[in-house]
This record gives sequence, structure tokens and C-alpha cells, in this order.
Amino acid sequence: MNNDPISQIQVSQKHVSSIEVRDESRALKVIKSTTFWILVVVVVMVVAFGVLTPNHVFFLPSTLLTVAFNGSQMMIVAVGMAYLLGAGELDLSVGTNIILSSTLAAKALKAFAGTPEQIMRGEYTHLTAGIIVGVLVAILSGSLFGLLNGLIVTRLRINSFIATLGTMMMYWGTALVLSQGAAEVGIPRALQTGFGHKKLLGIVPLPLLVAVAIGLILWVIIATTRFGLHTLAIGSSKESARRSGIDIDAHRLKLFILLGGLAGLAGLFDLVRFATTNPAGHQTDALLAITAAVLGGTSMWGGIAAIGGAMLGTLIPVILQTGLVIMEIGAFYQLIGTGILLIGAVYMDQRKRGRDAEA
Amino acid sequence: MLDGFIDGPQVKPVDEEGIKVIEKQPIKSSDQRRKDEAAIRTVGIRKSFGHLQALRGVDLELRSREILALVGDNGAGKSTLAKIICGAYTKDSGDLYLWGEKIDVQSIQHAYSLGVYTVYQDLSLAPDLTVADNLFLGREILLPGLRGRLGMLDRQRMRAETREALAHIGIGLKSFGALTRALSGGERQALAVARAVTWAKTALLMDEPTASLGVHQSAIVYKTMRGAADHGLAVMVISHDIPRMLQVADQIAVMRQGIVVETMRARDATLQKVISLMLAGKGGNDEQ
Repeated sequence: MNNDPISQIQVSQKHVSSIEVRDESRALKVIKSTTFWILVVVVVMVVAFGVLTPNHVFFLPSTLLTVAFNGSQMMIVAVGMAYLLGAGELDLSVGTNIILSSTLAAKALKAFAGTPEQIMRGEYTHLTAGIIVGVLVAILSGSLFGLLNGLIVTRLRINSFIATLGTMMMYWGTALVLSQGAAEVGIPRALQTGFGHKKLLGIVPLPLLVAVAIGLILWVIIATTRFGLHTLAIGSSKESARRSGIDIDAHRLKLFILLGGLAGLAGLFDLVRFATTNPAGHQTDALLAITAAVLGGTSMWGGIAAIGGAMLGTLIPVILQTGLVIMEIGAFYQLIGTGILLIGAVYMDQRKRGRDAEA
Repeated sequence: MLDGFIDGPQVKPVDEEGIKVIEKQPIKSSDQRRKDEAAIRTVGIRKSFGHLQALRGVDLELRSREILALVGDNGAGKSTLAKIICGAYTKDSGDLYLWGEKIDVQSIQHAYSLGVYTVYQDLSLAPDLTVADNLFLGREILLPGLRGRLGMLDRQRMRAETREALAHIGIGLKSFGALTRALSGGERQALAVARAVTWAKTALLMDEPTASLGVHQSAIVYKTMRGAADHGLAVMVISHDIPRMLQVADQIAVMRQGIVVETMRARDATLQKVISLMLAGKGGNDEQ
């Protein structure tokens, strides 16, 4: 036997560069991304409706800002959902979380803003205190419901689909019990005039700015931070993340809390935009948020979260609906269009993954 | 207790065959006792799964700067032993020593903190992350200052260090921004090995590391393994490729029915002897 067996293993220099991965240019990467194509779809839809609508009203900046404004509430939820999907989980309870958080926030706001008699008369003796408490209750209660979702998933080891399907019903039921199924009234109009309908420089609606700011912050976090990397690592391979020392349960708990808090904030949007709650609405919000995220390039199988894409994906149903209404075609057609695009986006994602796996 | 540990990946010039290896900081001369102590020693390790006795009292030593090949038939207990050393399983009884000090490895993370790293049969990489992100996952490099305190990654440095670490084991990548999913199975295994070699400080455990690799990539892995041992790590490799183990290992430990039946120097071992020990628990004649 040779005394220096290692020297027998021939590893010549030609094998040093054994892994040859195509180095794609930044432009090519952008063009191949789902987010880019969803941007193309959005632009094409805007141009098409702009050309087709009477007097080309869809091209008006005010129309476009209204479209974005109408999508701002869903935008907040969709970017949070993109995080959760990126980590391989989902939350079906966000819609009813919005209902329950906004109901609790409305009740808290009114309780602190004045006596029931004063509220009935439209007098708010402690308006600022009421608004502060209302905002805190909305975000904290939303986060708490997110925490509950996370605890059920991570402690009871129940699949997030089933866990949040259960809490979806629990939160809705609780909201209906608290509100007796009625929308909250007596919310101060100051919330609308001071924020909900207020525009920066008279142009950009403040709720839209808040939604875009949240989207930008979450995009920076997912793209550049350790938190973002761990989120995608967990979604890509839980076992790999665990073996790398990441506390995947603690991290997933944080993600459920994050989405819950964003749902609470979205609930607040009901109060500031409409000065009421909407206990009969929002049941399909979770599915719409998932749709927006997936349309934008977030993977249903985890590992990829496209925040910009989720924000664009949110706009598609709103653009379709607005355009169809202006053209006096039934708005219900937007559901058909959105459904087709969703299937198309997932099909493209699967094809892309298949190609990568074969590469 | 672990004050003489070697830290972090360091660059070393290419060796005579053009393959660089990861250099660890040298073991401190003040820690002379390490020359005599085994990096890892197991004494009477037992483990059962229900009625099945997987390990029935395993005594084994992994020494720094040596490759120990753990061989045995299926079900002999090789992987169970590796999983106990790396913290994936807890032992029922017996003792585990690290540099002569008794320790209880509580978890995989605990083993990592002790510098014991494992390359698993099933790949431990996240396919949707880039090569650099995978190499540094769990040990990310953060930007200096406020941005670092906010958890922002220094991806430029991570990519540069990944480039060096992979180059040392003979892997050149044109793009470190490429997703791991785009690599072939063999290439991913090479990356998994590179990752373990980069972070292991005491011992490197490998469970069939070349099972999915071609000849040349296997050669790279064995080269990497030797490089890791030469720079102070204790390397344990589980493999069914006994002829190759006789070539690359320093020590051969043969397991059978939950115990180590014999440990011998590789240069004293023959294929027939090892197989006899594996199958019958006793060595045959030394004629090959």
C-alpha cells in the first residue's frame, strides 16, 4: 500500500473551476424576475385602460393615485404575507384579524375619547388620548392575534393553514360577538380629515404613503438584513436553517406577530378612511393578500419573498376593477382576470424552478 | 476549558497541487496537553430506540490531525454514533469527552459552539439562497457601525470570503450571487463540505460525504478532508467505500452490532481484515 495515499488522488488544476454557474448580468436578472413581468402587466393594463376609457381618464394622475390609494390597505397586508410565505407559512386569519382589531380599536378609542353620551353627540373631550389608544389597541391587538397564530403553529405543531383557518373563524366570531354584527359608529371624523383623506402637498394620500413606506422598510429588511436572510432560509429549507443554528420557531413567531401587527394597522385604515368598521367584509382579504404576493413573485413553497412584487400585485385587482367600472363593464370580471393571472404567475414560477433544478 | 480553540477561516497559499485549504490558527503552544488528549473520546456510549439497541457501549477516540474512517455494515450504529457526537441525538448512557473534559452535548447548536461540525448525507443547504449566503448562514458578517447593529449584512465581504474559502478546496465559482438551487447535486455537496470545513474548529464529522459525487469531486472532498486534518481538526468519516478509506484515512474503526470491534491504523489494515471484522466481528488473515 502506498504510504502517501493522498498524493494518489489527482486533482488537477482543470478541476479547480469545476462549478461553472452562469454569471447573469443585473439586467438579465431583472428581466427574468417575476416582479418585472408583473410590473409589465401593470403598465400594460394602465395603458390599455388609458386608451380604452372615455376621455382617457385612466391616464389622469388623480385616477392612478386613487387606484393606489384603494390598494393601500391590502398592500400592507400583502407585504406581511410575502414574508410569511417566504418563510414557508401562511396566515388565513389576516382578514378577520383586521375586523377584530378595528372593532377593538374603535371601542377603545370611543371609551377614551369621551362618555357614551358625548360620543353620541359627536363631542370628543379627549380626542387625542382616544386616537392614541385606538392606534395602540389596533396594532397591539393585531400583533397579539398574530402571536396566537404563531404559538399554535410553533408550540402545538399545527400546520399554519389549519391553525389560521381555525383562528380566522375565532377572530371573526369574537368580532361579531363584540359588535353584534354591526359596524361601529361614532368614530371621530377628525380621523378622516386629519389622516384618512389627507394628502401630502394636496396630491399623495397619506395612507398610501404609509403603505409605501412600510413596503420600502420591509423590502430593505428582506433584502439586506440577517432577519430577512433567516426568513428566506427557513422557507427554503427548515432543516438547513435549524442546523445553521437559527431558532426557527422564534423566528416564525416573529413573522406571525409582524403580519398580525400589519393586519391591526390595516384595520386602523378602516377607521381613518371610512370612520367605521366593516365586520361583514374582509373575509377574502387573506386570499387576496396571498394572491397579490404570489402574483408579485413570492413563492408558495417558501424561500422567495418579493416585496415590490407584492405591492404591484395588490394593484392588479384594483386596476382591473376601476378600469372595468369606468368602461361600464361589470366589475365582477376583475375576479376572472385576477384568477387567470394568478394561475399564470404560479405556472411561471413552477416552470422557472423546474428549469433551475435541471440546470 | 476551550481557550486554545482555533478560530475562523484563514487564507493559506496553494499547496503543491494547486488546491488551497482552509488554514486554522495554530493551536496555542501553551496548550500542550492537547497533543496527548483525544479531541473527542467516547466511553461506553449506549443508545436504544425502543427495543432496538443501536449502540451497546461504544469506545472511540478521534484525534486531532487524523482522519478516522468509521466503517461497518448497515445498522452497525455508525450514523447513530455520529448523531450523538454532533448533538442530534442524546445518548442513554456513557461518557463523551472533548479534549479530556467530560461534556454533554445538548443540541446541534451546542456541538457547533464546541467546534464540532457535521456534513449530513442529506444536504444541509437552503436551495433558494446564494452560495455565499449558504456558507455564512447562522454566522453572517454584518456591516460595521449602526447598519450592523440594525442587522444589515456585509454581503460584499461574505462573497469575497466565500470565494477564498471555496478556492481553497478547489472550487471556482463565476457567480457568488447564483442560487444554490442552480448547482448540481455534486456541486452542492462540495459546497456543504466547504461550509463545514470553514466552520469546524474541533472536529469534522462526515456521513457518506461522497455518495452523490463523481470521481473528481470526490477527490476534491478527500483532499479537503486531509487539509482539514492537517490543520488541526479531528476528522471522522463514515463511508461504505472501504478501499478508498484505506487510502485516505489514518485510522479505521470497524463497527458491528452497536460496538466498535476494532480500531487500527489504516496502514496496518487490509480490505479482507476490515470486511471480516464488519461481518464476523473478528479479523481474517491479513492476506488481501
